[in-house]
Amino acid sequence: MKSKIKKEHLKFIWIFVLLAVWELTARFGPVNPISFPSLAVIASALWESVITGDIISQIWFSMGFILTGLLTAIILSLVLASISTFSELMDSFTDTLVSVFHPLPGIAMLPLIILWFGTGSKAIFIIIIHSVIWPMLLNLKSGFKSVPEIYRKIGQNYEHSMAGILFKIFIPASLPFGLAGIKIGWARAWRAVISAEMVFGATGGKGGIGWYIFNKRVFMDTPGLFAGLIVIIGIGILVEDLVIGKIENSTVKKWGTSQ
Amino acid sequence: MRKKFILIFLLISLLFSGCGAQEDAKENKTVRIAEQFGIAYAPIQIMKHQKLIENNLYGATVVWEQMANTTAIREAMVADKLDVGFMAIPPFLIGWDKGMEWKIATGLSYVPVGLVTKNTIGSLADFGTDDRIALPQPGSVQHILLSMACKDELGDAGILDNNLVTLSHPDGLNALMAGNEVTAHFTATPYLETELESSEYDLLLDGREVFGQDFSFIVGVTTDAFYQGSPELYDAFVLSVQEAVDFINQNPQEAAAILSEYYDMTEEEILKHISSEKADYNTTAVGTRKFSDFMVEAGYLSKGYEDPGDIIWEDVKYEE
Repeated sequence: MKSKIKKEHLKFIWIFVLLAVWELTARFGPVNPISFPSLAVIASALWESVITGDIISQIWFSMGFILTGLLTAIILSLVLASISTFSELMDSFTDTLVSVFHPLPGIAMLPLIILWFGTGSKAIFIIIIHSVIWPMLLNLKSGFKSVPEIYRKIGQNYEHSMAGILFKIFIPASLPFGLAGIKIGWARAWRAVISAEMVFGATGGKGGIGWYIFNKRVFMDTPGLFAGLIVIIGIGILVEDLVIGKIENSTVKKWGTSQ
Repeated sequence: MRKKFILIFLLISLLFSGCGAQEDAKENKTVRIAEQFGIAYAPIQIMKHQKLIENNLYGATVVWEQMANTTAIREAMVADKLDVGFMAIPPFLIGWDKGMEWKIATGLSYVPVGLVTKNTIGSLADFGTDDRIALPQPGSVQHILLSMACKDELGDAGILDNNLVTLSHPDGLNALMAGNEVTAHFTATPYLETELESSEYDLLLDGREVFGQDFSFIVGVTTDAFYQGSPELYDAFVLSVQEAVDFINQNPQEAAAILSEYYDMTEEEILKHISSEKADYNTTAVGTRKFSDFMVEAGYLSKGYEDPGDIIWEDVKYEE
Protein backbone atom coordinates (compact mmCIF):
# COMPACT_ATOMS: atom_id res chain seq x y z
CA MET A 1 0.00 0.00 0.00
CA LYS A 2 1.43 3.31 -1.02
CA SER A 3 0.91 6.01 1.50
CA LYS A 4 -1.19 8.80 0.03
CA ILE A 5 -1.17 10.77 3.23
CA LYS A 6 0.94 13.87 2.97
CA LYS A 7 3.72 14.41 5.43
CA GLU A 8 2.09 17.45 7.02
CA HIS A 9 -1.15 15.58 7.50
CA LEU A 10 0.66 12.73 9.14
CA LYS A 11 1.88 15.18 11.79
CA PHE A 12 -1.72 16.07 12.64
CA ILE A 13 -2.69 12.41 12.86
CA TRP A 14 0.11 11.78 15.31
CA ILE A 15 -0.93 14.76 17.41
CA PHE A 16 -4.47 13.44 17.42
CA VAL A 17 -3.30 9.99 18.52
CA LEU A 18 -1.27 11.48 21.36
CA LEU A 19 -4.22 13.58 22.49
CA ALA A 20 -6.50 10.55 22.44
CA VAL A 21 -4.07 8.57 24.57
CA TRP A 22 -3.84 11.50 26.97
CA GLU A 23 -7.60 11.78 27.33
CA LEU A 24 -8.07 8.05 27.83
CA THR A 25 -5.37 7.97 30.48
CA ALA A 26 -6.84 11.00 32.27
CA ARG A 27 -10.32 9.51 32.26
CA PHE A 28 -9.76 5.83 32.85
CA GLY A 29 -6.13 5.53 33.98
CA PRO A 30 -5.07 5.25 37.61
CA VAL A 31 -3.98 8.89 37.73
CA ASN A 32 -4.62 11.77 40.10
CA PRO A 33 -6.70 14.51 38.41
CA ILE A 34 -4.60 17.10 40.27
CA SER A 35 -1.49 16.03 38.42
CA PHE A 36 -3.08 14.67 35.21
CA PRO A 37 -6.10 16.76 34.20
CA SER A 38 -8.30 15.83 31.26
CA LEU A 39 -8.17 17.71 27.95
CA ALA A 40 -11.53 19.39 28.54
CA VAL A 41 -10.29 20.90 31.80
CA ILE A 42 -7.06 22.04 30.16
CA ALA A 43 -8.94 23.54 27.23
CA SER A 44 -11.25 25.50 29.49
CA ALA A 45 -8.28 26.78 31.51
CA LEU A 46 -6.64 27.89 28.27
CA TRP A 47 -9.83 29.55 27.08
CA GLU A 48 -10.21 31.39 30.37
CA SER A 49 -6.65 32.76 30.21
CA VAL A 50 -7.25 33.90 26.65
CA ILE A 51 -10.53 35.63 27.50
CA THR A 52 -9.14 37.49 30.50
CA GLY A 53 -6.26 38.53 28.23
CA ASP A 54 -3.66 37.39 30.75
CA ILE A 55 -1.87 34.94 28.56
CA ILE A 56 -1.97 37.20 25.48
CA SER A 57 -0.37 40.16 27.19
CA GLN A 58 2.20 37.88 28.77
CA ILE A 59 3.12 36.32 25.44
CA TRP A 60 3.36 39.80 23.98
CA PHE A 61 5.70 40.76 26.78
CA SER A 62 7.98 37.75 26.26
CA MET A 63 8.00 38.13 22.49
CA GLY A 64 8.93 41.81 22.75
CA PHE A 65 11.94 40.86 24.82
CA ILE A 66 12.97 38.12 22.44
CA LEU A 67 12.63 40.24 19.31
CA THR A 68 14.73 43.11 20.64
CA GLY A 69 17.27 40.68 22.10
CA LEU A 70 17.40 38.66 18.89
CA LEU A 71 17.88 41.73 16.72
CA THR A 72 20.62 43.14 18.93
CA ALA A 73 22.41 39.81 18.97
CA ILE A 74 22.13 39.42 15.18
CA ILE A 75 23.61 42.87 14.60
CA LEU A 76 26.39 42.25 17.10
CA SER A 77 27.29 38.90 15.55
CA LEU A 78 27.19 40.40 12.04
CA VAL A 79 29.69 43.01 13.13
CA LEU A 80 31.93 40.44 14.78
CA ALA A 81 31.72 38.06 11.83
CA SER A 82 32.48 40.84 9.33
CA ILE A 83 35.51 42.01 11.23
CA SER A 84 36.70 38.41 11.37
CA THR A 85 36.53 37.98 7.58
CA PHE A 86 38.77 40.97 7.04
CA SER A 87 41.26 40.40 9.83
CA GLU A 88 43.08 37.21 10.79
CA LEU A 89 43.70 38.53 14.28
CA MET A 90 40.05 39.24 14.96
CA ASP A 91 39.18 35.89 13.44
CA SER A 92 41.14 34.03 16.08
CA PHE A 93 39.73 36.34 18.77
CA THR A 94 36.09 35.60 17.85
CA ASP A 95 36.97 31.90 17.56
CA THR A 96 38.18 32.00 21.13
CA LEU A 97 35.07 33.83 22.32
CA VAL A 98 32.81 31.26 20.69
CA SER A 99 34.66 28.29 22.07
CA VAL A 100 34.59 29.76 25.58
CA PHE A 101 31.00 31.00 25.72
CA HIS A 102 29.07 28.82 23.29
CA PRO A 103 28.94 25.73 25.52
CA LEU A 104 27.78 27.79 28.52
CA PRO A 105 23.99 27.64 28.98
CA GLY A 106 22.39 30.99 29.84
CA ILE A 107 20.65 29.49 32.84
CA ALA A 108 24.00 28.44 34.33
CA MET A 109 25.08 32.06 34.22
CA LEU A 110 21.96 33.20 36.10
CA PRO A 111 23.51 33.48 39.56
CA LEU A 112 26.31 35.60 38.17
CA ILE A 113 23.93 37.73 36.13
CA ILE A 114 21.76 38.36 39.21
CA LEU A 115 24.83 39.54 41.10
CA TRP A 116 26.00 41.84 38.31
CA PHE A 117 22.80 43.13 36.77
CA GLY A 118 20.10 42.41 39.34
CA THR A 119 16.92 40.58 38.43
CA GLY A 120 15.26 43.11 36.14
CA SER A 121 14.78 43.33 32.39
CA LYS A 122 18.47 44.10 31.91
CA ALA A 123 19.32 40.64 33.21
CA ILE A 124 16.84 38.89 30.91
CA PHE A 125 18.14 40.92 27.98
CA ILE A 126 21.71 39.84 28.68
CA ILE A 127 20.67 36.20 28.94
CA ILE A 128 18.92 36.40 25.56
CA ILE A 129 21.89 38.03 23.89
CA HIS A 130 24.22 35.46 25.38
CA SER A 131 22.04 32.60 24.16
CA VAL A 132 21.74 33.96 20.63
CA ILE A 133 25.03 35.64 19.80
CA TRP A 134 27.37 32.61 19.92
CA PRO A 135 25.46 30.17 17.69
CA MET A 136 24.70 33.09 15.39
CA LEU A 137 28.35 34.09 15.17
CA LEU A 138 29.43 30.51 14.60
CA ASN A 139 26.98 30.13 11.73
CA LEU A 140 27.79 33.47 10.14
CA LYS A 141 31.50 32.77 10.25
CA SER A 142 31.17 29.41 8.58
CA GLY A 143 28.78 31.04 6.13
CA PHE A 144 31.29 33.74 5.23
CA LYS A 145 34.06 31.16 4.95
CA SER A 146 31.97 29.14 2.50
CA VAL A 147 31.84 32.06 0.08
CA PRO A 148 34.37 31.26 -2.70
CA GLU A 149 37.38 33.53 -2.81
CA ILE A 150 36.61 34.31 -6.43
CA TYR A 151 33.40 36.11 -5.44
CA ARG A 152 35.36 38.49 -3.29
CA LYS A 153 37.77 39.09 -6.13
CA ILE A 154 34.88 39.85 -8.47
CA GLY A 155 33.65 42.37 -5.92
CA GLN A 156 37.07 43.95 -5.82
CA ASN A 157 37.16 44.10 -9.61
CA TYR A 158 33.90 46.04 -9.52
CA GLU A 159 35.67 48.34 -7.06
CA HIS A 160 33.14 47.77 -4.30
CA SER A 161 34.07 49.05 -0.88
CA MET A 162 34.44 46.61 2.02
CA ALA A 163 30.86 47.31 3.09
CA GLY A 164 29.71 46.78 -0.48
CA ILE A 165 31.42 43.42 -0.69
CA LEU A 166 29.90 42.50 2.64
CA PHE A 167 26.32 43.48 1.89
CA LYS A 168 26.18 42.63 -1.81
CA ILE A 169 28.21 39.43 -1.78
CA PHE A 170 28.94 37.89 1.61
CA ILE A 171 25.57 38.25 3.31
CA PRO A 172 23.38 37.08 0.40
CA ALA A 173 25.75 34.24 -0.46
CA SER A 174 25.82 32.94 3.11
CA LEU A 175 22.14 33.50 3.85
CA PRO A 176 21.34 29.79 4.36
CA PHE A 177 23.88 29.78 7.21
CA GLY A 178 22.48 33.02 8.60
CA LEU A 179 18.96 31.65 8.58
CA ALA A 180 20.07 28.46 10.30
CA GLY A 181 21.71 30.69 12.91
CA ILE A 182 18.47 32.63 13.38
CA LYS A 183 16.58 29.36 13.81
CA ILE A 184 18.92 28.19 16.55
CA GLY A 185 19.04 31.67 18.05
CA TRP A 186 15.27 31.94 18.20
CA ALA A 187 14.89 28.55 19.89
CA ARG A 188 17.58 29.37 22.43
CA ALA A 189 16.22 32.86 23.15
CA TRP A 190 12.73 31.49 23.67
CA ARG A 191 14.02 28.91 26.15
CA ALA A 192 16.24 31.41 27.90
CA VAL A 193 13.39 33.85 28.48
CA ILE A 194 11.08 31.21 29.86
CA SER A 195 13.64 29.74 32.22
CA ALA A 196 14.84 33.14 33.39
CA GLU A 197 11.30 34.23 34.17
CA MET A 198 10.66 31.05 36.06
CA VAL A 199 13.69 31.69 38.20
CA PHE A 200 13.27 35.42 38.91
CA GLY A 201 9.58 35.90 38.57
CA ALA A 202 8.11 38.89 36.84
CA THR A 203 10.51 41.18 35.09
CA GLY A 204 8.85 44.52 34.82
CA GLY A 205 5.15 45.11 34.36
CA LYS A 206 3.11 42.00 33.81
CA GLY A 207 5.81 39.43 33.39
CA GLY A 208 5.95 36.96 30.53
CA ILE A 209 4.86 33.44 29.74
CA GLY A 210 7.43 31.88 32.09
CA TRP A 211 6.02 33.87 34.99
CA TYR A 212 2.54 32.75 33.92
CA ILE A 213 3.57 29.10 34.21
CA PHE A 214 5.40 29.70 37.48
CA ASN A 215 2.29 31.30 38.98
CA LYS A 216 0.13 28.41 37.87
CA ARG A 217 2.56 26.06 39.56
CA VAL A 218 2.65 27.82 42.93
CA PHE A 219 -1.12 28.13 42.99
CA MET A 220 -1.36 24.46 42.02
CA ASP A 221 -3.39 25.23 38.92
CA THR A 222 -2.25 22.21 36.90
CA PRO A 223 -4.70 22.72 34.00
CA GLY A 224 -3.44 26.31 33.74
CA LEU A 225 0.12 24.99 33.72
CA PHE A 226 -0.69 22.74 30.78
CA ALA A 227 -2.42 25.64 29.05
CA GLY A 228 0.84 27.57 29.29
CA LEU A 229 2.79 24.64 27.86
CA ILE A 230 0.36 24.31 24.95
CA VAL A 231 0.78 27.98 24.16
CA ILE A 232 4.56 27.57 24.17
CA ILE A 233 4.35 24.61 21.79
CA GLY A 234 1.93 26.52 19.56
CA ILE A 235 4.18 29.54 19.33
CA GLY A 236 7.20 27.35 18.62
CA ILE A 237 5.44 25.67 15.71
CA LEU A 238 4.05 28.97 14.44
CA VAL A 239 7.38 30.75 14.41
CA GLU A 240 9.42 27.87 13.01
CA ASP A 241 7.00 26.68 10.35
CA LEU A 242 5.38 29.92 9.35
CA VAL A 243 7.66 32.87 10.01
CA ILE A 244 11.07 31.30 9.39
CA GLY A 245 9.63 28.95 6.77
CA LYS A 246 8.21 31.92 4.83
CA ILE A 247 11.50 33.79 4.95
CA GLU A 248 13.30 30.71 3.62
CA ASN A 249 10.79 30.22 0.82
CA SER A 250 11.05 33.76 -0.39
CA THR A 251 14.83 33.94 -0.21
CA VAL A 252 17.19 30.98 -0.19
CA LYS A 253 14.75 28.48 -1.67
CA LYS A 254 13.60 30.91 -4.34
CA TRP A 255 17.20 31.71 -5.27
CA GLY A 256 18.11 28.07 -5.28
CA THR A 257 20.95 28.48 -2.79
CA SER A 258 19.36 26.02 -0.40
CA GLN A 259 16.84 23.21 -0.55
CA MET B 1 0.24 -0.46 7.56
CA ARG B 2 -2.88 -0.44 9.69
CA LYS B 3 -1.55 -3.24 11.86
CA LYS B 4 1.59 -1.31 12.44
CA PHE B 5 -0.46 1.72 13.42
CA ILE B 6 -2.42 -0.23 15.99
CA LEU B 7 0.73 -1.79 17.37
CA ILE B 8 2.42 1.57 17.84
CA PHE B 9 -0.75 2.99 19.37
CA LEU B 10 -0.85 0.17 21.90
CA LEU B 11 2.81 0.58 22.72
CA ILE B 12 2.33 4.26 23.39
CA SER B 13 -0.69 3.66 25.61
CA LEU B 14 1.33 1.16 27.59
CA LEU B 15 4.02 3.73 28.05
CA PHE B 16 1.57 6.23 29.48
CA SER B 17 -0.37 3.87 31.70
CA GLY B 18 2.84 3.01 33.53
CA CYS B 19 3.11 6.55 34.84
CA GLY B 20 0.18 6.32 37.19
CA ALA B 21 0.81 2.94 38.70
CA GLN B 22 2.16 3.44 42.18
CA GLU B 23 3.80 0.78 44.23
CA ASP B 24 1.20 0.01 46.87
CA ALA B 25 3.54 -1.98 49.02
CA LYS B 26 4.51 0.88 51.30
CA GLU B 27 5.97 -0.32 54.54
CA ASN B 28 3.56 0.94 57.12
CA LYS B 29 6.22 1.78 59.68
CA THR B 30 8.05 4.29 57.54
CA VAL B 31 7.19 7.96 57.57
CA ARG B 32 8.60 10.31 54.97
CA ILE B 33 9.10 13.87 56.17
CA ALA B 34 10.53 16.87 54.34
CA GLU B 35 13.43 18.26 56.29
CA GLN B 36 13.51 22.03 56.45
CA PHE B 37 15.94 24.50 57.94
CA GLY B 38 15.51 27.74 59.81
CA ILE B 39 14.49 29.11 63.17
CA ALA B 40 10.79 28.59 62.40
CA TYR B 41 11.45 24.90 61.74
CA ALA B 42 13.58 24.34 64.84
CA PRO B 43 11.32 21.64 66.38
CA ILE B 44 11.78 19.50 63.25
CA GLN B 45 15.54 19.53 63.70
CA ILE B 46 15.15 18.64 67.40
CA MET B 47 12.79 15.84 66.47
CA LYS B 48 15.33 14.47 64.02
CA HIS B 49 18.32 14.89 66.34
CA GLN B 50 16.67 13.27 69.35
CA LYS B 51 15.03 10.55 67.23
CA LEU B 52 11.71 11.32 68.92
CA ILE B 53 9.50 9.47 66.44
CA GLU B 54 11.71 6.38 66.57
CA ASN B 55 11.54 6.47 70.38
CA ASN B 56 7.79 6.96 70.48
CA LEU B 57 7.00 4.04 68.21
CA TYR B 58 9.07 0.90 68.33
CA GLY B 59 10.35 -0.08 64.89
CA ALA B 60 9.47 3.17 63.20
CA THR B 61 11.79 4.51 60.53
CA VAL B 62 11.86 8.12 59.45
CA VAL B 63 13.01 9.06 55.96
CA TRP B 64 14.09 12.68 55.85
CA GLU B 65 13.73 14.10 52.34
CA GLN B 66 15.43 17.24 51.11
CA MET B 67 13.06 19.57 49.26
CA ALA B 68 13.72 22.93 47.65
CA ASN B 69 10.59 24.77 48.78
CA THR B 70 6.95 24.54 49.80
CA THR B 71 5.76 24.00 46.23
CA ALA B 72 8.10 21.04 45.83
CA ILE B 73 6.87 19.58 49.13
CA ARG B 74 3.27 19.95 48.04
CA GLU B 75 3.99 18.32 44.68
CA ALA B 76 5.79 15.46 46.39
CA MET B 77 2.77 14.92 48.64
CA VAL B 78 0.44 14.83 45.60
CA ALA B 79 2.73 12.25 44.03
CA ASP B 80 2.67 10.20 47.27
CA LYS B 81 6.41 10.56 47.77
CA LEU B 82 6.00 12.31 51.12
CA ASP B 83 3.69 11.82 54.13
CA VAL B 84 4.37 14.89 56.19
CA GLY B 85 5.22 18.45 55.24
CA PHE B 86 5.65 21.68 57.16
CA MET B 87 4.46 24.92 55.61
CA ALA B 88 2.50 28.09 56.23
CA ILE B 89 -1.29 28.09 56.22
CA PRO B 90 -1.82 29.79 52.78
CA PRO B 91 0.07 27.20 50.66
CA PHE B 92 -1.75 24.48 52.59
CA LEU B 93 -5.13 26.07 51.83
CA ILE B 94 -4.24 26.42 48.12
CA GLY B 95 -3.57 22.67 47.93
CA TRP B 96 -6.73 21.87 49.86
CA ASP B 97 -8.75 24.12 47.56
CA LYS B 98 -7.39 22.26 44.52
CA GLY B 99 -8.61 18.98 45.94
CA MET B 100 -5.57 17.61 47.76
CA GLU B 101 -6.52 15.16 50.47
CA TRP B 102 -4.59 16.48 53.42
CA LYS B 103 -5.21 18.23 56.71
CA ILE B 104 -3.36 20.08 59.43
CA ALA B 105 -1.95 17.73 62.07
CA THR B 106 -0.25 20.25 64.33
CA GLY B 107 0.76 23.86 64.77
CA LEU B 108 4.50 24.47 64.96
CA SER B 109 5.74 27.99 65.34
CA TYR B 110 5.47 31.71 64.94
CA VAL B 111 8.57 33.77 64.23
CA PRO B 112 8.76 37.47 63.35
CA VAL B 113 7.90 37.99 59.70
CA GLY B 114 7.69 41.31 57.92
CA LEU B 115 8.41 43.54 54.95
CA VAL B 116 11.82 45.21 55.05
CA THR B 117 12.20 48.16 52.69
CA LYS B 118 14.85 50.68 51.76
CA ASN B 119 14.14 53.70 53.91
CA THR B 120 13.29 55.75 50.82
CA ILE B 121 10.03 53.81 50.77
CA GLY B 122 7.77 55.07 53.55
CA SER B 123 4.51 53.33 52.65
CA LEU B 124 3.07 50.78 50.23
CA ALA B 125 1.90 53.63 48.00
CA ASP B 126 5.55 54.60 47.40
CA PHE B 127 6.30 51.46 45.34
CA GLY B 128 6.86 52.38 41.70
CA THR B 129 6.60 50.02 38.73
CA ASP B 130 10.38 49.52 38.77
CA ASP B 131 10.58 48.56 42.43
CA ARG B 132 10.83 44.85 43.11
CA ILE B 133 9.69 43.02 46.22
CA ALA B 134 11.56 39.79 46.90
CA LEU B 135 9.67 36.98 48.62
CA PRO B 136 9.82 33.16 48.60
CA GLN B 137 7.01 32.71 46.05
CA PRO B 138 3.51 33.88 45.13
CA GLY B 139 0.93 32.18 47.29
CA SER B 140 3.34 32.03 50.24
CA VAL B 141 2.35 33.44 53.62
CA GLN B 142 4.60 36.42 52.89
CA HIS B 143 2.70 37.12 49.69
CA ILE B 144 -0.71 36.77 51.35
CA LEU B 145 0.30 39.11 54.20
CA LEU B 146 1.52 41.63 51.62
CA SER B 147 -1.82 41.33 49.79
CA MET B 148 -3.69 41.87 53.07
CA ALA B 149 -1.75 45.05 53.71
CA CYS B 150 -2.31 46.21 50.13
CA LYS B 151 -6.03 45.60 50.50
CA ASP B 152 -6.13 47.58 53.77
CA GLU B 153 -3.99 50.49 52.67
CA LEU B 154 -4.52 50.71 48.93
CA GLY B 155 -7.85 48.95 48.46
CA ASP B 156 -6.53 46.36 45.98
CA ALA B 157 -5.04 43.07 47.21
CA GLY B 158 -3.21 42.29 43.96
CA ILE B 159 -1.84 45.75 43.23
CA LEU B 160 1.79 44.76 43.85
CA ASP B 161 1.54 41.23 42.42
CA ASN B 162 3.52 42.15 39.33
CA ASN B 163 6.33 43.67 41.38
CA LEU B 164 7.24 40.34 42.94
CA VAL B 165 10.52 38.53 42.46
CA THR B 166 10.75 34.97 43.69
CA LEU B 167 13.91 34.50 45.68
CA SER B 168 14.76 32.24 48.58
CA HIS B 169 15.41 34.06 51.88
CA PRO B 170 19.21 34.19 51.55
CA ASP B 171 19.06 35.23 47.87
CA GLY B 172 16.47 37.85 48.74
CA LEU B 173 18.76 39.26 51.42
CA ASN B 174 21.63 39.48 48.92
CA ALA B 175 19.41 41.09 46.30
CA LEU B 176 18.15 43.71 48.77
CA MET B 177 21.67 44.48 49.98
CA ALA B 178 23.00 44.67 46.40
CA GLY B 179 20.81 47.73 45.97
CA ASN B 180 19.58 47.04 42.45
CA GLU B 181 15.88 47.08 41.68
CA VAL B 182 14.95 44.88 44.67
CA THR B 183 13.93 47.55 47.15
CA ALA B 184 11.94 45.40 49.55
CA HIS B 185 12.09 41.90 50.99
CA PHE B 186 9.24 40.11 52.76
CA THR B 187 11.15 37.76 55.01
CA ALA B 188 11.33 36.18 58.43
CA THR B 189 13.76 35.52 61.27
CA PRO B 190 16.79 35.56 61.12
CA TYR B 191 17.07 37.36 57.77
CA LEU B 192 14.68 40.03 59.01
CA GLU B 193 16.91 40.95 61.93
CA THR B 194 20.07 40.91 59.80
CA GLU B 195 18.56 43.33 57.31
CA LEU B 196 17.25 45.65 59.99
CA GLU B 197 20.71 45.96 61.53
CA SER B 198 21.58 48.29 58.65
CA SER B 199 20.30 51.84 59.01
CA GLU B 200 19.38 51.89 55.32
CA TYR B 201 16.45 49.54 55.82
CA ASP B 202 13.25 49.81 57.84
CA LEU B 203 10.47 47.45 58.79
CA LEU B 204 7.48 48.65 56.79
CA LEU B 205 5.05 45.87 57.70
CA ASP B 206 4.98 43.51 60.65
CA GLY B 207 3.24 40.19 60.01
CA ARG B 208 1.20 40.11 63.20
CA GLU B 209 0.12 43.73 62.85
CA VAL B 210 -1.01 43.17 59.26
CA PHE B 211 -2.88 40.01 60.23
CA GLY B 212 -4.45 41.70 63.23
CA GLN B 213 -4.10 38.70 65.54
CA ASP B 214 -1.77 35.81 66.35
CA PHE B 215 -1.33 33.10 63.76
CA SER B 216 0.73 29.98 63.16
CA PHE B 217 3.57 30.81 60.82
CA ILE B 218 4.25 27.14 60.19
CA VAL B 219 1.92 24.17 60.59
CA GLY B 220 2.48 20.43 60.09
CA VAL B 221 0.34 18.77 57.42
CA THR B 222 -0.15 15.09 56.67
CA THR B 223 -1.82 13.31 53.78
CA ASP B 224 -5.10 11.47 54.18
CA ALA B 225 -3.38 8.27 53.12
CA PHE B 226 -0.91 8.56 55.99
CA TYR B 227 -3.53 9.53 58.58
CA GLN B 228 -5.84 6.67 57.61
CA GLY B 229 -3.17 4.13 56.69
CA SER B 230 -0.72 4.52 59.58
CA PRO B 231 -2.63 5.76 62.65
CA GLU B 232 0.10 4.59 65.06
CA LEU B 233 2.77 6.47 63.16
CA TYR B 234 0.54 9.51 62.93
CA ASP B 235 0.09 9.53 66.71
CA ALA B 236 3.81 9.07 67.26
CA PHE B 237 4.52 11.95 64.89
CA VAL B 238 2.09 14.35 66.60
CA LEU B 239 3.41 13.40 70.03
CA SER B 240 6.99 13.92 68.85
CA VAL B 241 6.25 17.41 67.57
CA GLN B 242 4.73 18.23 70.95
CA GLU B 243 7.82 16.91 72.74
CA ALA B 244 10.16 18.84 70.47
CA VAL B 245 8.22 22.05 71.02
CA ASP B 246 8.20 21.51 74.78
CA PHE B 247 11.92 20.80 74.72
CA ILE B 248 12.66 24.11 72.99
CA ASN B 249 10.41 26.04 75.36
CA GLN B 250 11.80 24.39 78.49
CA ASN B 251 15.47 23.99 77.56
CA PRO B 252 16.24 26.77 75.08
CA GLN B 253 19.95 26.65 75.98
CA GLU B 254 20.28 22.97 75.19
CA ALA B 255 18.12 23.31 72.08
CA ALA B 256 20.34 26.12 70.80
CA ALA B 257 23.40 23.93 71.31
CA ILE B 258 21.84 21.16 69.23
CA LEU B 259 20.64 23.51 66.50
CA SER B 260 24.04 25.15 66.17
CA GLU B 261 25.35 21.80 64.89
CA TYR B 262 22.98 21.98 61.94
CA TYR B 263 22.54 25.69 61.28
CA ASP B 264 25.13 28.10 60.06
CA MET B 265 24.67 30.31 63.12
CA THR B 266 26.29 30.60 66.53
CA GLU B 267 24.68 29.17 69.62
CA GLU B 268 24.11 32.65 71.07
CA GLU B 269 22.34 33.87 67.95
CA ILE B 270 20.07 30.84 67.87
CA LEU B 271 19.32 31.18 71.57
CA LYS B 272 18.42 34.82 71.06
CA HIS B 273 15.99 33.97 68.28
CA ILE B 274 14.31 30.91 69.81
CA SER B 275 13.87 32.52 73.23
CA SER B 276 12.77 35.88 71.81
CA GLU B 277 9.44 37.13 73.13
CA LYS B 278 8.23 37.54 69.58
CA ALA B 279 8.85 33.91 68.67
CA ASP B 280 6.43 31.25 69.81
CA TYR B 281 6.70 27.48 69.51
CA ASN B 282 3.23 26.07 69.91
CA THR B 283 1.31 23.06 68.60
CA THR B 284 -2.00 24.91 68.44
CA ALA B 285 -2.91 25.77 64.85
CA VAL B 286 -3.98 29.41 64.86
CA GLY B 287 -5.49 31.74 62.26
CA THR B 288 -6.91 29.37 59.61
CA ARG B 289 -10.27 31.17 59.40
CA LYS B 290 -8.87 34.60 58.73
CA PHE B 291 -6.43 33.34 56.08
CA SER B 292 -9.20 31.37 54.38
CA ASP B 293 -11.70 34.26 54.40
CA PHE B 294 -9.20 36.73 53.02
CA MET B 295 -7.89 34.37 50.34
CA VAL B 296 -11.42 33.62 49.13
CA GLU B 297 -12.30 37.31 49.05
CA ALA B 298 -9.11 38.22 47.15
CA GLY B 299 -9.58 35.38 44.67
CA TYR B 300 -6.59 33.25 45.71
CA LEU B 301 -8.96 30.42 46.71
CA SER B 302 -12.13 29.27 44.95
CA LYS B 303 -13.78 28.19 48.19
CA GLY B 304 -13.36 28.49 51.94
CA TYR B 305 -13.77 25.67 54.44
CA GLU B 306 -17.04 25.33 56.35
CA ASP B 307 -16.14 23.29 59.37
CA PRO B 308 -12.65 23.29 60.93
CA GLY B 309 -12.84 19.49 60.62
CA ASP B 310 -12.56 19.96 56.84
CA ILE B 311 -8.97 21.11 57.12
CA ILE B 312 -7.80 19.97 60.57
CA TRP B 313 -7.53 16.35 61.77
CA GLU B 314 -9.46 15.24 64.81
CA ASP B 315 -8.02 16.02 68.26
CA VAL B 316 -5.71 18.73 66.92
CA LYS B 317 -5.69 21.87 69.05
CA TYR B 318 -6.73 24.91 67.06
CA GLU B 319 -7.90 28.48 67.41
CA GLU B 320 -9.51 29.81 64.29
